[in-house]
Amino acid sequence: MKSIRDDIAEDLYNTWLTISFELKNHFRRKRVIISFSLAVILPLIFYVVPKIWAEFPDSADEFASLSLSFVNLLIIIAGSLFAGDVISGEFEEKTGLLLFPTPQRHMTIFIGKYIGALIPTMMVVSIYYLTTSVEVIGIYGTGALNHNMAKSFLVALVYTTSAVSVVFFFSSLLQRKITSMLLGFFSLMMILPVISNVLQFIVEVEPWYIVTYSAGLITDVFAVTMTIGGGPGGQFLLFTPDFHLGLVVMVVYTLVFLFLGILISIKRRMR
Amino acid sequence: MADSIVIKTEGLVKEFGDGVRAVDGVSFEIERGEIVGYLGPNGAGKTTTIKILTNLIKPTSGRALINGFDVNRHPKDALKDVGSLIGVPGVYSYLTPAEFLNYFGRVYRMPKEKIDQRIEEVLKMVDLLKWKDSKIGTFSTGMERRLAIARSIFHDPSILILDEPVLGLDPEGIKEIRELIKSFQKEDVTVFLSSHLLDEVSRVCDSVIFLYGGKVIERDSVKKIDEILKQYRLIDVELLNSINEHDLNKLKDMEVIDQVQKLGENRLRLTKTDGDPVSTAEILREVVENGFKVVSYSPERSNLEDFYVSLMKEKEGSR
Repeated sequence: MKSIRDDIAEDLYNTWLTISFELKNHFRRKRVIISFSLAVILPLIFYVVPKIWAEFPDSADEFASLSLSFVNLLIIIAGSLFAGDVISGEFEEKTGLLLFPTPQRHMTIFIGKYIGALIPTMMVVSIYYLTTSVEVIGIYGTGALNHNMAKSFLVALVYTTSAVSVVFFFSSLLQRKITSMLLGFFSLMMILPVISNVLQFIVEVEPWYIVTYSAGLITDVFAVTMTIGGGPGGQFLLFTPDFHLGLVVMVVYTLVFLFLGILISIKRRMR
Repeated sequence: MADSIVIKTEGLVKEFGDGVRAVDGVSFEIERGEIVGYLGPNGAGKTTTIKILTNLIKPTSGRALINGFDVNRHPKDALKDVGSLIGVPGVYSYLTPAEFLNYFGRVYRMPKEKIDQRIEEVLKMVDLLKWKDSKIGTFSTGMERRLAIARSIFHDPSILILDEPVLGLDPEGIKEIRELIKSFQKEDVTVFLSSHLLDEVSRVCDSVIFLYGGKVIERDSVKKIDEILKQYRLIDVELLNSINEHDLNKLKDMEVIDQVQKLGENRLRLTKTDGDPVSTAEILREVVENGFKVVSYSPERSNLEDFYVSLMKEKEGSR
């Protein structure tokens, strides 16, 4: 009889095998080239356009905040590409008929798949930050890189875990991989932001519990809370997510959607 | 569980959400080195049983044991020596066969040298060696199928669970797989094979389990079934005139005939169960004497398919 320690070591090894298998699968596909290219091209636009037609912002923080305003979009695109079909694909393509009847706990396979989708998405985010950091150094000098950039990077990585969890959840829930990818993408891109905006601007309640609202921290760490004018009633109240609460919300989304995704995947039956 | 019994199911029941009982108290035992066929019509519960045995689904009640381990509770121990091929699995189209098999070799904890050696061996066995480093996405359906077979035997399992293994293969491929399964007999590999190709089953299996409506209705050795079938005599008869209800009743009343089955407008199948060739001559005489104009008369030996059909008819009749 195996000891609990050996059993856990075996499970960890199986998870590692799935991660490396998933990474191999991801890195053979065009989606890697697409998302990695976007991670370089998007911040480059913020460098090239002002360089040719306008001027760079006065401070490095302003530039970083502007450049990183699209990292949120890239996280959602990359997360949907890498996690959108990890589970639904196994069922739709029936590759699960080869993968699941093997001597490993299904849970280790699903955790491995989650991490296998998380790693390339985090790599995309890192490339984006690396490109932006190089630009900041190039424009404002090495001293311009400050702790705000590190804070923003940390928030972006935590948000990545929650975004990938949400997409992973849809992948475990839905039959077709295209549906799970699209629903994952639109829920983060449209559904949650619309709810968040309705709560903020119409109900005038802070939607602190909505993860896409917390994702605002990615650029908010460079600025301060502000109100902006406009609208028939005079001014809109613009909320700013609290840093620590925002991180907690992201972690909660990560854990809840990952747990639900794994649970549904385990319960799901292979047709 | 005795050491010689490697696969065992105890009162397996699987109910799906819609209240359908796909498997209804299935119990059987398979001994080491046996090649057992698992037969039944569509919806009988064959694939559901196999999915429970390979931990793809969990039973509502009952247990499936492999080498003494409950498959659903201890999949790591139960499935480590099992190779399986279920339905028509998909493939990871972005990988090469070598990468694909390498992953599964690692899952089964094979040493690296053994993995490299087996990649060459099994790909040669399924005639894919020259495509070892080509992307699987460029393969034909037959090649994908052969790769899936290679995956199931890659780690030298002592137990093979195969669900329709020759599906999608051309006649040559079918022959190769049949030979492969037969070769396992010499190597003491236990094979549990579900197939609707009864000819395949009768050629490779030692015994057969018949499933109907989620229940095991019969289990016999192929030899024993063969003995039973020797007693069966099927006669296909073509008459000049079309057959009506009155004709059928007349034939059924004849003592020399046990069963009458109408196959077409003027075609019949008569069954005699005593296996005596003299009887077929007697049947012909009686049929002619009763005024039937016989165009053709061909006695045939029954096979596993006839046995299966008669079993199913018997079951349907008793419903």
